[in-house]
Amino acid sequence: MFRRRLPEWFVLLLPAILVIAAVVLIPLLFSLYSSFTPYRLTRPSSLWRWVGTANYERILTDAKFWSAFGRTVLFLTIVLNLELVFGLGIALLVNKVTWGQRTLRTVLMFPMMFSPILVGFQFKFIFNDNVGLVNNVLQSTGISDAALPWLVDEKLAMFSIMFAEIWMSTSVFAILILAGLFAMPRDPLEAAKVDGCTAFQTFRHITLPFLMPFIFIAMTIRSLDVARAYDIVQIMTGGGPARRTELLWTLMARTGYVDARMGLANAMGYVSILLSIVFTVYFFRKLSAARAELGMGG
Amino acid sequence: MKKQSVKGLLLAGAAVLVASESALAQDYGSFDGVTIEAKLIGGQQYEALYGRIADWEAATGGKVEIISKKSHFEIDKEIKSDMAAGTTNWCVGSNHSSFAPQYEGLYVDLNDHLSDEEIAGFVPGTIKASTVDGELLMLPRAQFDVSVLYYLKSNYTDAAKAAAFKQEYGYDLAVPETWEQVKDQAIFFADPPNFYGTQYAGKDEAIVGRFYEMLVAEGGQYLNDDKSPAFNSEAGQRALQWFVDLYEAKAVPAGTTSYVWDDLGQGFASGTVALNLDWPGWAGFFNDPASSKAAGNVGVAIQPMGSVTRTGWSGHHGFSVTSDCDNKEAAVSLVRFLTSEESQLAESAGGSLPTRSAVWEANVKAAEAGGDAYRAEALAAFAAGAEYAFAVPPIPEWGESVNIVFPELQAAIVGDKTVKEALDDAVEGVDELMQDAGYY
Amino acid sequence: MDRNLAHRNRRRALKVAHFLTLFVVMSIICIPGLWIVLNSFRPTVEIMAKPPVWTPSFTLEHYRAMFGGAGEGGVPVFSYFRNSLIVSVVSTAIAILIGMSGGYAFARYRFRGKAGWFVGLMLFRAVPGVALSLPLFIVFARLGIIDTHFGLILAYVAMNVPFTIWLTDGFFRQIPKELHEAAEIDGCTRWQAFWKVEFPVARSGIASAAIFAFLTSWNEFALASQLTRSVGSKTMPVGLLDFTAEFTINWGGMCALAVLMIVPALILTFIVQKHLIAGLTFGGVKG
Repeated sequence: MFRRRLPEWFVLLLPAILVIAAVVLIPLLFSLYSSFTPYRLTRPSSLWRWVGTANYERILTDAKFWSAFGRTVLFLTIVLNLELVFGLGIALLVNKVTWGQRTLRTVLMFPMMFSPILVGFQFKFIFNDNVGLVNNVLQSTGISDAALPWLVDEKLAMFSIMFAEIWMSTSVFAILILAGLFAMPRDPLEAAKVDGCTAFQTFRHITLPFLMPFIFIAMTIRSLDVARAYDIVQIMTGGGPARRTELLWTLMARTGYVDARMGLANAMGYVSILLSIVFTVYFFRKLSAARAELGMGG
Repeated sequence: MKKQSVKGLLLAGAAVLVASESALAQDYGSFDGVTIEAKLIGGQQYEALYGRIADWEAATGGKVEIISKKSHFEIDKEIKSDMAAGTTNWCVGSNHSSFAPQYEGLYVDLNDHLSDEEIAGFVPGTIKASTVDGELLMLPRAQFDVSVLYYLKSNYTDAAKAAAFKQEYGYDLAVPETWEQVKDQAIFFADPPNFYGTQYAGKDEAIVGRFYEMLVAEGGQYLNDDKSPAFNSEAGQRALQWFVDLYEAKAVPAGTTSYVWDDLGQGFASGTVALNLDWPGWAGFFNDPASSKAAGNVGVAIQPMGSVTRTGWSGHHGFSVTSDCDNKEAAVSLVRFLTSEESQLAESAGGSLPTRSAVWEANVKAAEAGGDAYRAEALAAFAAGAEYAFAVPPIPEWGESVNIVFPELQAAIVGDKTVKEALDDAVEGVDELMQDAGYY
Repeated sequence: MDRNLAHRNRRRALKVAHFLTLFVVMSIICIPGLWIVLNSFRPTVEIMAKPPVWTPSFTLEHYRAMFGGAGEGGVPVFSYFRNSLIVSVVSTAIAILIGMSGGYAFARYRFRGKAGWFVGLMLFRAVPGVALSLPLFIVFARLGIIDTHFGLILAYVAMNVPFTIWLTDGFFRQIPKELHEAAEIDGCTRWQAFWKVEFPVARSGIASAAIFAFLTSWNEFALASQLTRSVGSKTMPVGLLDFTAEFTINWGGMCALAVLMIVPALILTFIVQKHLIAGLTFGGVKG
């Protein structure tokens, strides 16, 4: 009895807890501490000066920070929703295909093979206003003879980084929703047909509710690693021009590494972590609710 | 250390005998069993030199272990991280004149390790730019950078164009001598979206550097003597206005504020830009038919004048020795070797610019004798341009001030703010930064 | 008769519309990626050409240069590939083992604060790589595991464990408890029952968790750029930056290395495709 002091579930969870504590928790505590200091990378001794909440006060009263914050929330909201809509559409399209579907599904996952940093370079060149692919196509086909400044114009620049992000991540939605469609029981669909429901009605009242848990899973997964967009945005626009595409992550990385003001950057980091957590918890609750509705709770 | 140097002397004699002049003109000492850990900048332009490290190893018996090789900004990030973590016991690091002032206390003062004659072999300007508060923090390698004017020659051989230009602007169309002329000609040549008069880097340090040199060329200063920001002066406004005017006239690509060096280089190589202020690293690329549509049509001239002097923002790469290095003598020997005349000759053969006076002369002579007119023209332009070279202000806060200034410059260029507003806002930010840093 | 024909016409029209939409969508997905592949085979002068060159010529120059020596544009491709492979495979394998054990705990045991533990573990995945990279670096530097495969593997395991726990948890719940109870009655220990009864049933779920973990590790950049330094540990995404210098970028060369990164991942995905869908179906939702 004495040897079984630790419950079995805890022993089974222990490796996961240990590895996460070592790699994530300890560094997080360190950065939490440093967010209360004027820590500069190039002056290690500054780590030992406590300045209280000065860093937080500074960013919370900084208009640039708030505009980056607002833009990040906007970016996430638009991107996640569009990815969902496109992912759903693609999954429905692919689900109808009967021949060569395995290949099609692999092709569908093609963008997932691309490292975010590569996606950044790729779209930076595709959207280059002078020699980029998009403008070349537009000009060659005579649709437009102007060189559209994709990465400069306020709206176009946001569009471009969103496009890159959506291109990279829609696959995750599509593949998860596709999995949902595969798991769909046939009976209710056939019953609906017999009852004379239109295709849209069937989709709205039978397919979609069944897919909801899958959709929320995809949302949760995506909101967990949205910060991957940092690599893309950093390379495509670096937050510019004139802070038009500045997101929390680009602001934070620039403050931390180029300016070497890690204390301040870590304070921003905490705000961005909170943002991620809010998004994740929100979708997680939705997921639990959707599961419960379908009687799969647990 | 004393003991080692005595041993070193003995062995040095032996090494010369054994290796029977291992093709090295100078004596680099002997460091049998010593391993030097080095962090070097990676990238194709910089790698050729590292092939020569084997020669140093053969001559001295030491070993070099390259523990890191990363691109420009990545290695800067890594070195700062090292300083934060206290893992700075490696010996030799790649450095850059713009980065050097940031690494306070990391690197030794090379004045203590080198004779004056040895230092005198380098171009004085580069030594000055490598010196912070009297400490020589790095020895320059043959990667000196100053920008000159690349242009498409065909624009100056077309009689119809010349006549039209004269008609409109009242002076003869020729390769521009001043930035005012560049503006006129750029607007004259531009035919967006197919052809642009010129272009400029539009973000990060790139745009601030370009603005800074224009500021100096207009007679202004970035910082006052007390280190307070001074770039919202009349001269500063004139400097920024130049960028704004070109953007408004659509003489530059609309995307120019998103461009950094690679976009600019590719743009000029596509043959659709008339005038391009750019770095030496591109000289070969622009005139190589395999990479550039402008090949054969590229002219190189000294960078134009502002209302007071020529532009000439410059920087150079080099190598430094850490204060925590166990065997500084061996490390200094390696740095001496990598920046020696032979190494610079070899490295500058790849097209980069040397930082030793003797190598400059040798290169110019060789180009003249070699019958490569383009290379001779380019070298002559760079040699003339280097006379006007100046570095960025040697303060650790340079990089940080750049991040405050560049969004404001962009805001003025794309029309979100007026020139005056943008500069005032930038000055306010930099002023706060310098106060925080405790200058005044 | 007439109605029948109209009906058939409509169906045909729908079919064509479906095919066309699918084609357009797939093109949007493929073209930016294929553009990279294409550029890796084009001479530099054509990639950035203006006016554009629409009929590409073919060259292996970028590949030849990449495998060539230092100074001629060569990068240590084989080392990068080996590092990427070791780090991704080992970290995926460990993450799966740890995730399975955690997922099993969540699926088969009742304990207080279970939901809290679960969400808590998930949230650690939400920490942005940029925010984590420096503190992690300082901790790893103190431990002396910078620039080693071990350090990067450790980081990736931590990154992937939450997701694998999630997927495997859902999967184990699907399996009726009676199965392993029956096995235990037959004299198996719980451990044996797990491997004989539950593991084989959960295989698809594990495969799909594995492919997600593998792709994440294979493509990760923010942490890798901080934790690796020399040729001995740099992974391929970090290696991409070898093609950039202070003022220049070798786009063709970068594309060639990118192709070497994409192809193995694509092949692997194709192979596990069948398990992937099955795994996601059961794992994620029904938990």
